[in-house]
Amino acid sequence: MAKILVVEDDMNLQRTLIEYLKKENFETLGASNGEDGVILAKKEKPDLILLDIVLPRKNGYEVIKELKSDDNTLKIPIVLLTNLGSYSDVEKALNLGATTYLVKADYKLEEVVAKIKEILKIN
Amino acid sequence: MVIINDFNIKKQADELGISVWKTPSFLFIVMGIVVMAAMTLVYFISRDKSSPELLILSEIIVVIVIMSIGNSVIQSVEQIAKVNKMKSDFISIVSHQLKTPPTEISWEIELLLAEYKGELNNKQLEIISSISEANRRIVKLTNDLLDVARFDQGRFILNKEKINIAEIIREVIQNNLIMAQANNVRIEFSNNGTIPEIIGDKKRIGVVVDNFLTNAIKYTKEKGKVGIEARQQGDNLVVSVKDNGVGIPESQKDKVFDKFFRSDNVVKYNTEGSGLGLYIAKKIIESSKGKIWFDTKEGQGSTFYFSLPIMTEA
Repeated sequence: MAKILVVEDDMNLQRTLIEYLKKENFETLGASNGEDGVILAKKEKPDLILLDIVLPRKNGYEVIKELKSDDNTLKIPIVLLTNLGSYSDVEKALNLGATTYLVKADYKLEEVVAKIKEILKIN
Repeated sequence: MVIINDFNIKKQADELGISVWKTPSFLFIVMGIVVMAAMTLVYFISRDKSSPELLILSEIIVVIVIMSIGNSVIQSVEQIAKVNKMKSDFISIVSHQLKTPPTEISWEIELLLAEYKGELNNKQLEIISSISEANRRIVKLTNDLLDVARFDQGRFILNKEKINIAEIIREVIQNNLIMAQANNVRIEFSNNGTIPEIIGDKKRIGVVVDNFLTNAIKYTKEKGKVGIEARQQGDNLVVSVKDNGVGIPESQKDKVFDKFFRSDNVVKYNTEGSGLGLYIAKKIIESSKGKIWFDTKEGQGSTFYFSLPIMTEA
């Protein structure tokens, strides 16, 4: 069973994501700030990380930088979950090593899960 | 004199959306012409007077003038860039704040339906579906307003990805089925043969198709028919959306793509709509190197078209 770490400071969004992922038989972990996200990622080595950009105590960019500079977490795919306004915000994160991004307001939970399965090659 | 670090005129110009600066060489050509004109002037001033002092003095003046012009141009571009950066930061923040609540609403509804759909009765499902639809409109309006703000600042950037237009059209039709059923409108999609993949911004092209289709459905009278067609025409891909709706009055045809425009005959019986859809559609298509146009006859219907060049490489 794949393990997904959700780093999202909005607790309602984090809860809906986690509940939906559980329903889809994923193992889940949640962090509500960047610092906890990094600690959990290093400790638990999830199969994939869903990461918000706007986060307290270390934003998404810092989280990516830190995880990509550690050999143990380097290979974990990171999917950005964002509602930020411009493509350059996303581009910055992709350049740092994020796998892809999803604009939250435009995606259904079902589509988020489909994207995760596509990246992890799960049918 | 101010020394400017890390000044990349091409990058600044791109952010500003100033077309002249898109070719920095244009700036250098102008500077070259100015230098040559100044030198010629110096030559004519000094040729009759065999005074090296005058020659040197006038050349110094020319150099100072050119440097001052160059410097003030760079400074003003930098100033605009700074203001623009503030505006775009504002858009980013507002976008984030405005979109989070509707995201929560739609995800909560989806979770609710995924877990309890079987236990809800039809009336309850109907209410949830209304909430969903209203929420979808909030998201769309927010996206539209943000796009308009980006155009106005010249900061509108399109993704370049391979897109399958037939797939996009099918998806858009799917999203509008409820609205079509409510208005008693039938949607027919025809694509003759194979349609090549093109390079474009999938989400934005979807917005254009959606704007065409929702207009066609909204402004079609009861028991209407909307036909969508995609076909290859030479080096272009042409998509058309035809309705037998209210049409656009002759006198207002030239305003159709204006920001906030809504035609008189439409406002009379349907007040919903921001008047941004076709304005945005035009901006998206033109930014994608395509064309957008329409045929219409008041009382009989309209057909809206867009064409995009078929290119296999970005």
